[in-house]
Amino acid sequence: MSTLDIKDVHKSYGAIDVIHGISLNIQDGEFVALVGPSGCGKSTLLRMIAGLEEVTQGDIAIGERTVTDLPPKARDIAMVFQNYALYPHMNVRDNMGFALKQRRTPKPEIRQRVDDAARILGLEALLDRKPRALSGGQRQRVAMGRAIVRNPNVFLFDEPLSNLDAKLRVQMRSEIKELHQRLGTTTVYVTHDQIEAMTLADRVVVMNGGVIEQEGPPLELYDHPKSVFVAAFIGSPPMNFLEGTIQNGDVFKLDDGTALKLPKGDPKGRERITMGVRPEHFELTDAGWPATVSVVEATGSETQITARMAGKMIRVLVRGRTDVKAGQTIHLKASPELIHMFDPAPIPDVALEEDY
Amino acid sequence: MTSIDTSTPRRRRRSLSHGARIAGAIFISVLFLFPVFWMVLTSFKEQADIFTTPPKLFFDATVRTYTEYFTRADIPQRLLNTVIVATGAGILSIVVGTLSGYALARIRLRGAATFGVLILMSRGVPPIALAVPMFLVARNMGLTDKHITLILAYCTFLIPYVMWLMRSFFVSLPKELEESAMIDGCSRFGAFFKIIVPISMPGILSTLIFSIILAWEELLFALVLTSRDAVTIPVAIAGIAGDTETGANWAALTAVGTITVIPVVVFALLVQKWLIQGLADGATKG
Repeated sequence: MSTLDIKDVHKSYGAIDVIHGISLNIQDGEFVALVGPSGCGKSTLLRMIAGLEEVTQGDIAIGERTVTDLPPKARDIAMVFQNYALYPHMNVRDNMGFALKQRRTPKPEIRQRVDDAARILGLEALLDRKPRALSGGQRQRVAMGRAIVRNPNVFLFDEPLSNLDAKLRVQMRSEIKELHQRLGTTTVYVTHDQIEAMTLADRVVVMNGGVIEQEGPPLELYDHPKSVFVAAFIGSPPMNFLEGTIQNGDVFKLDDGTALKLPKGDPKGRERITMGVRPEHFELTDAGWPATVSVVEATGSETQITARMAGKMIRVLVRGRTDVKAGQTIHLKASPELIHMFDPAPIPDVALEEDY
Repeated sequence: MTSIDTSTPRRRRRSLSHGARIAGAIFISVLFLFPVFWMVLTSFKEQADIFTTPPKLFFDATVRTYTEYFTRADIPQRLLNTVIVATGAGILSIVVGTLSGYALARIRLRGAATFGVLILMSRGVPPIALAVPMFLVARNMGLTDKHITLILAYCTFLIPYVMWLMRSFFVSLPKELEESAMIDGCSRFGAFFKIIVPISMPGILSTLIFSIILAWEELLFALVLTSRDAVTIPVAIAGIAGDTETGANWAALTAVGTITVIPVVVFALLVQKWLIQGLADGATKG
C-alpha cells in the first residue's frame, strides 16, 4: 500500500495535447474514481500511472519513489483491463500466478497465495479452467484475482465493468467495494459511469478536456458542483438547466420572455447565469413556476414527470405517487439552497442522454 | 397468400442453385486434380503404356521407375538438398519475419509503415530480374552451389510474406495482453515470448509450413544459383523434362514429381487443421 502523487502531468501526442497539467494526491488506502466523458483523458492518465504511456511533462510518485521513467514492471502496481486481458493459453491458476512467477516467488508460496485469492473471490472451482471456458463475470473476477495475488502498492482499474450486463455490473460493483474495504489498497478507478464513481469512490475526480474540472467526496460534488459540466455529469437523472438574466435582484428572465421569481439572488451578483435544479429537488406547489406536463412515469417508489417550462424540457422526480396527469399544468418550487447558479455554459451532452 | 405462392418455386430455385454449386465444385476439383491424377497414373506405367492412343486407364502397373530413380545416387541427394534448403529458409524467414511483423504491428516507429510497404513492394519485382544479380553476387563471394546461398535467396521473398502475414495476425490480438504481461513483470521481449508467441503458435506454424512449401517448389533461383552439389528436386525434374539426349523420360518425371508433391500435400492438410484452430483461438478475447 502506498500514496500516489501526480504532479503537473502533461501528455501530448505530437502537437496534440491531451492532458493539460494534472496534479492529484492520493492518500494511502484511498479509492479514487476518475470520471468523465470519452476523450477527457482519464484512461490516458491511468495508463501514465501504470507506465504504459510516457509522461510528456511532470512527475508521478508511488510512495516515496518517483516512477515517471520506470517501466511498468518496476512500479509494483496491478491493473484490471476493460477486456480483462487474461492469457488465453494459461488456466486460471497460471493466469493468477503469472506475476509471482515472474518475480521468482517460490512455487509453494505462489500456490498458497493463488489459493487465498481464489477463496476471497470464490474461484476455487475454476482454477483449472482456461479463460475461454469462463463466463464474462468469472473472467472479470479472475482479472481481479490476478491483481490481488500480487498485493501491489496500487490497484488500477480501467472501466472494468463496462463489458458486463447491467445486473452483473451492479453485483461486481459491490464486490469491488467489499474487496477494497477488506484489502485497503490504494485504488484508482476509471469509469464513464458516474453512478459507479459515486458508489465506489472515497473521492471522485471529474475530468473534462484533459483537465480536472472538480474533485471531492461524491456527495460534495452532488451538493456543490462548481460548473454546469460537473452538475450535469454527477447525479441521475441529470440536473435541469435554464439560462437567463437576473433582473431586479430576484427575477429570472428566460430568453423567451418568461419571468420566474427566485427565492434568492445570485450570491456572486452576476447578471447572466445558468440556473440548475436537480429533478429530485423540485416540489409540487399551488403557486410556483408553471410547467406543462408531457409524460408521467411511475415506478412505485418514485414518479418521474417530464414537463415543459418556457419551452424547455425539464424533469421532476417526486417520491411515492402523484395524481398529476399529462397535459396538466403544475407549479414547481425549490428551496433556495437547492437552486444552483453557474456561469453560463453550454450544457454537455451527458445531461441530454437518456441512459440512466 | 403470397408467401405460400412463392415458397414452392423459391425452394425449387434453392435446390437448383444447390445442385449447380455442387456441379461447379466437382468441375473445379476435376480441373485441378486431373493433372495430379494423371501424373500419379503415368508414374506407374512402362514407357510403352505411356504413349498408347487412346490412353489406357488400366495397364500393368510397375514400380520399376521408382526403384530405379530412388536408388540412383543423385535423386535422393537432391531430395535431401531440398529438405535442407526448404526447412532452413522456412525457419530463418519465420524467425526474422515474426519479429519484424511484431515490430510493425506494435512498436511505434517513425517511418515503420513506409518501411513495411517498401518491403512488400520488393515482392513485386519479377524474380528473374533478381536471379541474375544474385548469381553475380554469389559468384563474387564464392558462394554458388551452396545451401546457404539458396536459403538466403529464398528469404528475400519469404520474409516479406511472413512479415505481413504475422503482422496482421498480431494486429488482431488485443494489445492489453502484452500490457498486462508488462505490468506483471515482463519486459517487451518477455511479453512477446511468454504470451504472444504461445498464443500465436497456430499462426506461426501455418506460416512456417506455407514458407517451406514455397521454398520446396522454387525453381528459378535454384536453377540459377546451383550447379551440382546443392541442386534441388525442382531443378532435377526440369533436367529430366529437358533431357535432349535420350528424350524426356515421362515415367521418371512423374515418379519424381509424385514423391515431391507428397510432403506438400501432407503439409497443406496440417496447415488447414492448424489454421482453423488458430482462428478459433483468436476469437476468445482474453
